[in-house]
Parts: sequence; structure tokens; C-alpha cells
Amino acid sequence: MHREPHTLSRRAALRLAAAAGLAGVVTAHAGRHAFAAADRALDLAVERTRITIDGETTRAIAIGGSIPAPTLRWREGEEVVVRVTNRLDEPTSIHWHGLLLEGVMDGAPGFNGFAPIMPGETYTYRFVLRQAGTYWYHSHSAGQEQEGMYGAIVIEPAGRDPVRADRDHVVLLSDHTAEAPAAVLRKLRISEGYYNNGRRTLVDFFRDAERDGFSATLRDRLAWGKMRMDATDLADVTGYRFLVNGKGVRDHWTGLFRPGERVRLRIINGSAMSIFDVRIPGLAMTVVAADGQDVMPVRVDEFRIGVGETYDVIVLAREDRAYTVFAEPIDRSGYARATLAPREGMAGEIPEQRPRTVLTMADMGMDHGGMDHGDMDHGGSDHAAMGHGAHGAHGGSAGHADPAPARAVGWADAATPPGAKALAYDDLQSLTRTADLREPAHVIDLRLTGMMSRYVWTLNGRAFDDGEPIRVAYGDRVRIRFINTTMMAHPMHLHGMFMELENGRTGRLPRKHVVLVPPGRTLSVLVTANEPGEWPLHCHLLYHMASGMMARFVVEPRAARL
Amino acid sequence: MHPKSLLIATIALLMAGPGPAFAAGGHGHGQAHAHDTAAIGRPAAVSAARRTIRVEMHDNHFTPDTLRVKAGETIRFVVTNKGDFLHEFSLGTAAMHAEHQKTMAVMMEHGMLTPTGIDAERMKMDHSAMPGMDHGVGHDHANGVLVEPGKTADFAWTFDKTVDLEFACNVPGHYEAGMVGTVVIGR
Repeated sequence: MHREPHTLSRRAALRLAAAAGLAGVVTAHAGRHAFAAADRALDLAVERTRITIDGETTRAIAIGGSIPAPTLRWREGEEVVVRVTNRLDEPTSIHWHGLLLEGVMDGAPGFNGFAPIMPGETYTYRFVLRQAGTYWYHSHSAGQEQEGMYGAIVIEPAGRDPVRADRDHVVLLSDHTAEAPAAVLRKLRISEGYYNNGRRTLVDFFRDAERDGFSATLRDRLAWGKMRMDATDLADVTGYRFLVNGKGVRDHWTGLFRPGERVRLRIINGSAMSIFDVRIPGLAMTVVAADGQDVMPVRVDEFRIGVGETYDVIVLAREDRAYTVFAEPIDRSGYARATLAPREGMAGEIPEQRPRTVLTMADMGMDHGGMDHGDMDHGGSDHAAMGHGAHGAHGGSAGHADPAPARAVGWADAATPPGAKALAYDDLQSLTRTADLREPAHVIDLRLTGMMSRYVWTLNGRAFDDGEPIRVAYGDRVRIRFINTTMMAHPMHLHGMFMELENGRTGRLPRKHVVLVPPGRTLSVLVTANEPGEWPLHCHLLYHMASGMMARFVVEPRAARL
Repeated sequence: MHPKSLLIATIALLMAGPGPAFAAGGHGHGQAHAHDTAAIGRPAAVSAARRTIRVEMHDNHFTPDTLRVKAGETIRFVVTNKGDFLHEFSLGTAAMHAEHQKTMAVMMEHGMLTPTGIDAERMKMDHSAMPGMDHGVGHDHANGVLVEPGKTADFAWTFDKTVDLEFACNVPGHYEAGMVGTVVIGR
């Protein structure tokens, strides 16, 4: 199928903004009048700029004059006022990712009566900080987040911080492309293989399996992975540069410490499309918070971080040397790098890159019965382009015991070396007890679906434009089951309320604003619907959201039903 | 002393001793216990203490987080766990704590310790199988106590000389999260 590229790109860019315009008329904005001074007031301009990454200068959008945007250091209990002025020639918005606040202040156009901030306009956000921890803020309009509109939020607790550190650094990961986001999406839509030649689909797998048998096909896939000819559906945009605090690999951002200090790293994945495996060779990390919420400390050597997630870790750097914070995207198409050092001008060793994993049957949804093959588009995949010559080449070594070099099998496998500990969701336990112990009043099944070959990503098979809102009554406790029927992981983000991840840690379920749902798996969360409004619930992969992987999660006042 | 506190103190004797003997696996030697704590002082009878310092444990920090003592002084520590999790009050240098953390991690893995308590049965069952552990009982090197949530324990310590001393909780992850304080030893 073929459509006018121009139409597509325009639609893509305007999709969210258009939806926003409709909703914006309905509700008056509490935020649009003058205020008495709050505890903190801040002016942030959104404007076009240029950013130079390792010598290459490209167009970008800055909030507050820098990329990333300035780190906002606030204190729990304060009321903050942020005046955002749009100096672009397109609508914009700022969303406070992970913050509990009144709906209109959430800053997602088309939801809770928030209208996009039009060119030349100033919007005043005003809210009381009801929580502490590490969060972030970013544009919720078109592809602006990809262009540099992201920054960190650090909120000190009103009381004593259960974590004590001598030093505190934000480590904000992002992915950067010289291309305009609308162009990226256009290319993804026209050809699913644009960034991913040689990509195989589930349908291909079944065809091969029918012909060659399952085990031969699986071997084949392993071989493909080893030869790095298979993009394995881990990421669908490549060609990124990966940044830490806006710096590329060559310019590498440096965070200072004095040997012996206890250093808190607030690691935020502010990228558009990249899931990272993060480690600091030579240093163990103790995870003390996830998505801004304190967790029981857990000592790890590495962790995987989905788009939108945050982890706070403590490192005890005792030696007078430089360490490298190393973050590899799961498709291993590059890496982000930062340096922790006692002095400027030092550089840690760059570790060897890990192999890219190869997906398995489980990742393809074989472990649950709900697979709907109708979701897969048969027409679009070019089977012939897969190059089966490689299969024959592999035949020569088939049957030989492979001494298994560094290889990763299955989505969850980060090629963690033996003896090293990678954080698992099951390790996360809230430092404070689960407040709401009620059984969920009802269960909401949300199937993560997609037609991969047309780059249509959906929830329950429907794109945001034609999907029905999810409705829950104010005060209800509900369970949401994220059933991933696709071959990609989806970081699912709910605005306005924390999701308590059902990871077996009953009584201390970790509170998350993003849960990374692995391919072919189901994760469930509990939500107490105590924030009235209509909240976005979406995949935080930017282009998945833009292509429709979003729903409206409506918390309805009980009174409205009488 | 309350019976439960006695149990806790006994377990403290078992495990709060410096790590090397225990963590060294097959190389365990009884005498390895003796030399480590000598550098930081020696245990004392509670009755010998002229001064009492009360310390509260929370999730995961101490109040206060600095203790001032004099060289040669014997202090009775009364340690109350006001948190929801198991905590330890242990005296040692940073290096001693680092070693001890390895021991504690093993005990947690073996279920002798849980995030909220001490499994006395497993403690009995398992410790004899672990080199070093069976030498622990009766040795005079109680440089700390493990205290379950809601409980209070006490012990006494005579501080010898000026060293860089920390009091710390070595339950896995707690030290890293900042559950450690400084002992300032004056003259």
C-alpha cells in the first residue's frame, strides 16, 4: 500500500495537536490567570536552537535555553509556578512526567482540558509538589521530545531523605537524530524496513518453521543474530546518537566525585525510542528508587531501563580513578557514555559492547494463548528480501556443538556475565507499605497490538483516534493487565497516578509511572483511581504513541453517575 | 536483659564478628576473629559502662548519625529499631564493614536473615556448615547487634584509640543507601 508521503507526515505531526484543539475548547483553564507569588516561580522559553553533538551540528528545540532543559530542583510541599513561553512556529506543551497534579496541569494536549500552547503564547503551570524523587519533564506535542525538549526534575523530600549521599548527579539518557521526527515517522510508515533491513516478522518465522521445523528455524534465527544481519525487532529506529546529559560519546559528560564519597546517580531514560542496559564497570550500583519512589535498596551490577523510567542508584567510588557509565540500547546499535571521575579531563575505559539478543518463541507470544494472528499484516513483509542464502551458509556448521561465545537469547537476556546481577522487576519493593490493600474492583485487559509492516501500533487493536476510553469510577481499585501480543517491548505510561506493579512483593508493590512490558508477556498493575480526570495511557516509544498506541484513561466522579 | 534481646545478642555474637573468617570459605580460621576488632576496641560488660548512648534505627538510617566518645571510654549502646526492616548496629572501619557486608549477603541468600527478621532455626541449622561460623559462639567480639523491627537491644564497647570508625548497618543495601554514621573518638 502506498500513500502520499506529504499527507502522512502532516497528519503525523498534527495528530496530537489536532485532538488537543477539540478538547481544549471545552474546558476553561484554571492556569491561565495571574497569580500571587508561589514558593518558586520560573520562566521557561521553548525555542528553536542548534545542538552540536561530537562536532555535528543539527537543528533542535530547547526548553530554557539548553538541551537537556535545566534540571528543576524543588522541594516536596512547595507550590511551583512555571511560565512557559512558546517561541516556536508550532504548538507546544510541557508534561511533568510522573508528577501527581491536577489534570489540566499535566500538560498533555487533548486531555484534561489542556490545550497546546500556541506560538507566541505563555502558559502558566501552577501546582503543589505532592511527592519527592527523580522525575522529568518533556514536550507532549508531535515529535518535539525527540528534538531536545526534555529535562530532569529532582524533588527533595519534605522530611528526611531515607537515602543519604555526599553527591548527587542527574544522568539523563536520550537518543538524538539529525532527522526531523516527522520525517522519521514518515519513513517508518512508508516502509517498516527503512531503518531495519533484514527484519524478520513472526509470519516469516511461522513460514520457516512450517518448512524447516521449529528447532531448525530457531537455530536459523540464532545464526542470524550472530551474524548481526537480523535487527530482531528490538528497535525500529536506528542511526541514533546516544547522549548523556546532552553529550555524545566523544564529548562525554563528566560527573565529579571525591574518592570515598557516596554518589547518588539519578538515571532517567528520556529517549524517544531507546531502551538501555546500564552498567558502570568496576562499580556496583545500589538501586534506591524506581520512577522516583523509594525502594528497598538492591545491589546490582546492571539494569535495563525503559523509555520514561527512572532509577536512582548509589555508587561508592573509593578509588582515585575514572569510571564509565555505559548505556547500550538493547539493539546494540551504539552506546551512551558518561564519565565519573575525581577530576575533569579524565576518561574511563570503554567496555566491550555486548552482543545483541535474539528473540525466542516466548518473545513472540508463544507462552500465552491470546495471540491474534490477525494483528499481523501479511501483505507488507518482503519475505524474499530476507536472504536465505545465509540459512544455507549456516547449514555447514549445523549439528556442531557451539561453544557458545557471548550470545544472548531472549528479550530479557542482556548478555549479563555469570556472577553479575542484573536488576529484575521482581527485585523492586517499595520502601513504604502499599496503602490500598483492597482487591481490585475490576480488571482491565489492555492488549498491546500492532500491524508491524504498516507501522500501526495500537491498544486492543484500535488506534487512539478510534479507540474507546477506559472508564473507571473515582476511588476504585482496578487491575490493568498489559498483554503484549507484539514482538517489541512497550514502556507503558499512565499519567496522573502511580501503577503498582504486581511483581509478587505483596504489601510493598513498587509504584511505577512506566512499566516495560516485554514482547509476548503480560504484566499486571494495580491502580487506585483517586485522581479525577482523563489521563493518557500510552506506549512511551514516541513513534508508537504517534501512530496510535494510546488510550484515554478516564477517572469519573461518582456524582456524575447519579 | 529481655530473653528476646539475649537471643539477638547471641546471634550478634555469631555473626557480627568481622567478616574475613566467615567470608573466606574454605580458609576459615578461628583466630581470624581475634585480630580484627582489637584495632577498634573491645567488648565490655554492660555493667561496666558509665555512659549510655541511645541510637534509633529507621528505614534506612540512624538517628543520630554521629557519635562522640573518648578513647578508653566504655559505652553502653541501647539500640532501638523503629523501622519495618531488620537492621544492624555494627562498629568497624569502612573496610571491616565492606567485608562484613559479604557475609550478610550470604546469610540473606541462605534465608538465615530475611528483610524483616532473623530465622533462628536456619541460623542454627546452617551456621555449622559454614566455615568460621561454628567458632563464633562465646568469642568476645560482639562489635554489634542485629535488631528486629520494634525491638531494642544493648551491648557495651570500650573504645581504645583513635581510628576512622563507623557505625553501620550491613544488611544488604543499607550501608550503600547511607545507613552509616561516624564515631568521633576524642582524647
